[in-house]
Amino acid sequence: MSTVAAAPRALRNRRTPRPRRIRPARIALHAFLIATVALWLFPLLWAIYAALRPVSETIINGYLSWPKTLNFNNFTTFWTEADLPYFYLNTLVIVVPAVILTLLLASMVAFCCTQFSWKFNLVVLMLFIAGNLLPPQVIIVPLYWVYLHTPIASFGSIDIGRFSFALFSDNGLLYDQYIGIILIHVVFQTGFATFVLSNYMKTITKEITESALVDGANVLRIWWSVILPLCRPALAAMATLLFTFIYNDFFWALLLLKTGDKRPITSALSNLAGEFFVNNNLIAAGALLAAIPPIIVFIALQKHFVAGLTLGSTKG
Amino acid sequence: MKVRRALEARKLELPFLETDLPLNLDLSRRDILKIAGYGSLAAFIAACGGSPTTTSGSTTGGTMSIGSYQSDPGVKAGLADIVNAFTTANGGTKVTVNTVSHNIFQDTINAYLQGTPEDVFTWFSGHRMRFFADKGLATPIDDVWDAVKSNYTGAFATAVKGNDGHVYAVPTDYYPWAVFYRKDVFAAKGYTVPTNWDDFKALCAKMKTDGLSPIAMGQNDGWPAQGTFDIINLRLNGYDFHTRLLVGQEKWTDPKVTAVFKKWAEITQYYSPAPNGTTWQQAADKLLRKQAGMYVLGLFVSDEFKASGKQADVDQLDFFPFPDLGTQFDAEKALDAPIDVYMMSKKSPTLSKDSGQAKAFLQFMATGSAQGLFFKQAPGSIPTANNADTSTYTPLQKKAQQIVSAAGKITQYFDRDSRPDFAGANGMQSFLKTFIANPQADPTSLQGKMQQFWDSLPAEV
Repeated sequence: MSTVAAAPRALRNRRTPRPRRIRPARIALHAFLIATVALWLFPLLWAIYAALRPVSETIINGYLSWPKTLNFNNFTTFWTEADLPYFYLNTLVIVVPAVILTLLLASMVAFCCTQFSWKFNLVVLMLFIAGNLLPPQVIIVPLYWVYLHTPIASFGSIDIGRFSFALFSDNGLLYDQYIGIILIHVVFQTGFATFVLSNYMKTITKEITESALVDGANVLRIWWSVILPLCRPALAAMATLLFTFIYNDFFWALLLLKTGDKRPITSALSNLAGEFFVNNNLIAAGALLAAIPPIIVFIALQKHFVAGLTLGSTKG
Repeated sequence: MKVRRALEARKLELPFLETDLPLNLDLSRRDILKIAGYGSLAAFIAACGGSPTTTSGSTTGGTMSIGSYQSDPGVKAGLADIVNAFTTANGGTKVTVNTVSHNIFQDTINAYLQGTPEDVFTWFSGHRMRFFADKGLATPIDDVWDAVKSNYTGAFATAVKGNDGHVYAVPTDYYPWAVFYRKDVFAAKGYTVPTNWDDFKALCAKMKTDGLSPIAMGQNDGWPAQGTFDIINLRLNGYDFHTRLLVGQEKWTDPKVTAVFKKWAEITQYYSPAPNGTTWQQAADKLLRKQAGMYVLGLFVSDEFKASGKQADVDQLDFFPFPDLGTQFDAEKALDAPIDVYMMSKKSPTLSKDSGQAKAFLQFMATGSAQGLFFKQAPGSIPTANNADTSTYTPLQKKAQQIVSAAGKITQYFDRDSRPDFAGANGMQSFLKTFIANPQADPTSLQGKMQQFWDSLPAEV
């Protein structure tokens, strides 16, 4: 009796209450996910909350208090006082050429090392990847002297209002020039970009290159018209990453530039901290504004970015 | 040349091409790249020749440049006003100011002065000034000082001398360190300003029973407690011992230093809670909100009061000099009053041309009227010139000026009087944090670590 009765119950149990049985785990999972999201968002939300409050209020009531006034004054103050558009432009003239140059050069190296078989194939690739492991701080003293003693020609400058981009140097040196910062970024990012792009290009069959050769395309043409279009997802992913890396840089600009007006946006943030007194609410607003461009770049390239992540995985 | 010859050779080889468009040479992409490469290389080489420098004998007109750490809106405007006044006064000298964020300027000063600095730069007095003078990165300006020294008190004259006896700086402003309090709190509770150590401790005890944190302390960033170390050491062991200790001519293991920490430990129980996790601004907020009774800090504490937006609070802020400890050195009335200065660089590429104008500017900075222009925009620090207009001073500023001119000896603060690596986060800042965390521990082991750290530092030049 009991076995007969037990069988359908077991069956029923197996069929219907299945989702119910998973529920505690699901609740735990979602609780965990929500907690993680909250943990991740907390600093950002806290910064937004602080940025919306005037500093006088937080001095008197502390940061852990209900707001009496919420406004965008910190944002507007930062925009005008820190001369934000000017420093955005400073960063732009460093980041954009640096990213483009890095991608061009790195894709050339990756192209040669993956699409052709020659003697030093692996050695060259290893050289570029090994360069990645070199901490930039190690070479800072010699590099500083190289920059101080490398003469660069002056052909005038491109002036947009207060902003002036020297072609290629306004003091005859590599030191204290936009071009010097662009070059050092290219040098230090090429290694990583080469590593990623060559891994991606390995997934492109050599037959494509070979058939292009048969069709009479020279090496540069194969690189530009055949391989680079195929690498678009990887290039977009790299562009996003490189943009963020170079955008975030503080170190090179700190060391190889001496003119405050040439420094990128990251230093505009520190311009707002006084000798002693720091308006943290203003800094929070500034940090949020400074974080916007990389997010825009990510949104713009995100389609390629995701494609780049998944495309490689299916090729196996 | 090479390119031209190559092109000529090509023309000779292919004469029939002349009939085509002249620019339609049979150049592959590679050739074009080659030409571009050689062309720009030639241009680079051509431009490499040294540019001729002209020396002008005149000190008026012309140009000069200033490297400035005055990056806050107020002080930046103050310097701009001075520059305009100088240009007008000096026959239209064109002044370029390179403003760099205050902290970045300090962090990169070493590289800055060895690179291509501006003619004149903003800096600090004390060891920080002498260090760069010793390294030959600053130009002595004895002639400027001779012209302006009658406008300064003797304490400033000592503060601008390098180790070689030459003058390297023109002092422009300063601010004193003292014990700050709120007048209304003292009045409401019937406290009186203590002048000696016992009264000071008694006041602390009374404040504690009244539910106040007697002394606000924010040691999170490491440097604020150095002010207390300075003043106790100055009162207990005197100016000479203090300055020698900070440059390594006395030992940190000296029993005199032990006495400083023992004395200090008598008041650490009155500090506000969690001093090592509190920033100076948060500690200042405690004084502002009447949660703390006193605060040993520089005059810049008023910045925090001002930022609160309530003038009533700013008006209540007052200070008194650190109490006497009953030693012979009380009479020195020494105190920390960091002096900001203008110096002349050595490696500026334009200095040979601009040195006349640069010296004229330094001389201009030594006048009370120029310093007054700065003070109007940046009231946080006090002009140094004797002939500065004091009529617009607030009571707090007047008092600051009085205690500094009454002081027999002026020190520049720990991190300006000692070498930066010793005063920094790995050195004294962390040692003082250790002390603040456990003030009752025997200080001798901590002193041993200080001396060990000092000995481990490389020679400074």
